[in-house]
Amino acid sequence: MTLAATDTAPHLRLDGLVRHYAGAPAPAVDRVSLGLPRGALLALLGPSGCGKTTTLRMIAGLETPDAGRILVGGRDVTALPPHKRHMGVVFQSYALFPHMTAAGNVAFGLEMQGMPRAERARRAEAALELVGLAALAARKPRQLSGGQQQRVALARALAIEPDLLLLDEPLSALDAKLREGVRDEIRALQQRLGTTTVFVTHDQVEALAMADLVAVMNAGRVEQLAAPEEIFERPATRFVATFVGRAARIRGVLEPGGVLRAEGGAALRAAGAALVGQVEAFLRPHRVRLLGAGEAAPAGIENLLEGTLARRVYTGEVVSLEAQTAAGPVTAEVHASAEGAWREMQPGAPLRLAFRANDLLVFPAQGAAA
Amino acid sequence: MKPTWMLRVFAAIGYAVLMAPAALVLVLSFSAGEYLTFPPPGFSTRWYVALASNGVLMSALGTSAILASVVAAVALLAGGPAAYAIARLEFPGRGVLAALLAAPLLLPTLVLGLALLLVLQPLGLAATWPGLVLGHCLVAIPFAVRIMTTAFAAVPKELEAAAWTLGATPLRAALRITLPNAAPGAIAAGVLTFLVSFDETVISLFLVGPRLSTLPVEMFRYADQSADPLIAALAMSLIAFAFLMVLIVERLMGFSNAMGRN
Amino acid sequence: MIGWLLALPALCILGIAFLWPLAALFRISLNRTLDSGAMEVAVTGESYAKLLGDDFTWQLVWDTVTLAASASAMAVLLALPVALLVRAASPRWRGVLALMGIAPLLISGTARLVGWMAILGDQGLINVVLQGMGVIGEPLRMINNWTGVRIGLVESLMPYAVLVLLAGLGRLDGRLEEAAATLGANRVRTFFRVTLPLAAPALLAAWLLDVVLGISAFITPKLMGGGRVFVLATEIYDLALESVNWPAAAALAMLLLAGLLALLLLRGVFSWLPGRRA
Repeated sequence: MTLAATDTAPHLRLDGLVRHYAGAPAPAVDRVSLGLPRGALLALLGPSGCGKTTTLRMIAGLETPDAGRILVGGRDVTALPPHKRHMGVVFQSYALFPHMTAAGNVAFGLEMQGMPRAERARRAEAALELVGLAALAARKPRQLSGGQQQRVALARALAIEPDLLLLDEPLSALDAKLREGVRDEIRALQQRLGTTTVFVTHDQVEALAMADLVAVMNAGRVEQLAAPEEIFERPATRFVATFVGRAARIRGVLEPGGVLRAEGGAALRAAGAALVGQVEAFLRPHRVRLLGAGEAAPAGIENLLEGTLARRVYTGEVVSLEAQTAAGPVTAEVHASAEGAWREMQPGAPLRLAFRANDLLVFPAQGAAA
Repeated sequence: MKPTWMLRVFAAIGYAVLMAPAALVLVLSFSAGEYLTFPPPGFSTRWYVALASNGVLMSALGTSAILASVVAAVALLAGGPAAYAIARLEFPGRGVLAALLAAPLLLPTLVLGLALLLVLQPLGLAATWPGLVLGHCLVAIPFAVRIMTTAFAAVPKELEAAAWTLGATPLRAALRITLPNAAPGAIAAGVLTFLVSFDETVISLFLVGPRLSTLPVEMFRYADQSADPLIAALAMSLIAFAFLMVLIVERLMGFSNAMGRN
Repeated sequence: MIGWLLALPALCILGIAFLWPLAALFRISLNRTLDSGAMEVAVTGESYAKLLGDDFTWQLVWDTVTLAASASAMAVLLALPVALLVRAASPRWRGVLALMGIAPLLISGTARLVGWMAILGDQGLINVVLQGMGVIGEPLRMINNWTGVRIGLVESLMPYAVLVLLAGLGRLDGRLEEAAATLGANRVRTFFRVTLPLAAPALLAAWLLDVVLGISAFITPKLMGGGRVFVLATEIYDLALESVNWPAAAALAMLLLAGLLALLLLRGVFSWLPGRRA
């Protein structure tokens, strides 16, 4: 998907969206603003209750914002009812019409557009073909498996050639084995058709794997809007750092000159000198290197911690080694196939950990003046 | 816990009380005798034959069948949209509306019948079709609204939302998506309101006249004056009919669901 | 607003068939009945005064209330094991048992009373059996009197009690009874110490509903009483259609409504008592 050079304005723009349910202490969606280029896939990622589904429903017109605007292709659709928005929605429950066949479901949107019967039958078949279900066109939803229903719902949403495709946790009702395959299929299809898509999920792997852009939401607000790598490697807020990926937390005081004095006594080199004072730093396990006995820290790696092994957790592909250090508990991740002294290590054994100053993601301590 | 034998015995007594009248009606409707005596002196279908040739009862049956059909249709057409509103829409006073539409079921039919008589008699509408339809709608509409509300509420809201996003106006979504999926409930509501009207006795007692009378009223009057197996044959026919209707409803949406028990 | 619009047809019909007649009922209860029997438009409490000053009215009230209260108590007692059995039954049987418990609701009342006549009559099932066994010589009089009315009423009120109990008991946690059993309580003790106290609010609700329905029952007293049993409902009917004394009939109907309203309020109060939160 190449973006036309002239197409600088985002295809979808949310401008200060607010939704405050009557009686709720805080808004469900609180001043959400973002832009999405044509053809891109945006994942709204966050814990349950963070406002991501409400945001999606407002885009679809199924909820009315209390404030803010929604623009699609430069057109303000905020006041349009859902049936005039021309958006394909795949619901979490799929919401297939039980009294219609798969083909009938897919053709429904075309029928509403007033398309002649023959034409819409052809288009419905093509849409089912797209998701590999042409053979099951005559089945009723209850005669289809969960994965098949999911694909009919997708075909139904795509058949109307929507301005925007909206997916509300489309994979959550599928079992884990199926999920990965369907995930990649949806992404491939979306890229092939070039349909601008918004995707709601609470699963970070799903979001990182599929999206061009990820908006991490918390308590109704967008904490960070960025590409997946950036979200993971350079989280903008403490929440993003803890919600996306695992990380050890190191509390301490950041001194001018970039020295982090951990509560446990360790002195570490850290970036982010602007945050001088009480801080919390996060360290991702895959960034921590385990050094062999007597092995010197490689050049360019500023920090070295010594500690003792507290616990090892085997999860198949990787082994997590949890160490007690002068910076507190720190976890290092080792590939399960990697050779090394760690294989014989028992809890209590000494180990040495190395990481770069840039690997410490530093944020102001919670409770400290922000 | 598994029911104890003691519970089974006591429950059997309860069921016996509930089932005994229907059982006796069944036995005595085939009596060869002149009176409702036990045991019947012999087996005969003569009372069913006599029933079929009883002009008063048969004409009342015709009246009741037509009346119940009209009432069921009116109750569905008037109650359906109201039920949809209660089940689906959010608007101020929804609770009040639901309570208003259920209110007639709270009052004794005797008082409702009397009140209707006091209004309809001076207008010359007592013992007329419009009067009877109106009187029956009074109990049929609340009933239809209750069952249809359950039926509409059972159709997931998401279906309609999905239809909207596909370009269907709210009206088209309601007609094309929600209504077909609520259809079994609507049919069940129709069957049950038919039955409610068909069996309605007390309100009708106030609203019938010599030239226009319903089957339950004529049956009530017959039973009040004489007790012979003819009335048992009629009662048995009605029980069989009700059983058939309940069976249909059970097939369509589950009887206890239809009654809105929860 | 569109909600009220959709409900408009239904509201119109109920307005004509319900609110207007009720208003008329009240209005006519204030009219005067002349000695000739004719009705004169007036605003007077004469009909009420006459009814309330008449010992017969108070006898009717007493008879009606005691009939409804006793028949309802019996109906609830008979309905309780039915509801408990439905609750304890396997899912396969539950539907059928529940349906059997409430099926009489859909059978014409007259049809069921014909059955009771065949059971309770002088030559009915019970008398024939008892006489055949030599237990009694003369037949027991069980119809055309209060006994017949009471029995008929018990049966017609039972399905409602079953419904209320099923709804009420459904919320009870069956594991409590199992817990009691594991603690060593035998079945009878479990029933009286655990099941019954937990079911008490539902039993009360069922009884009150049955009392409300029993007080206004008409067909059963009329048919089973054989013209010898007088209750409020039969009296209202006779005043309206036999004596054609509309003000008196309307006034008595208003008094009945007032009494039922009081009972419904009482039920509302009971439903607020602690322990019924569910």
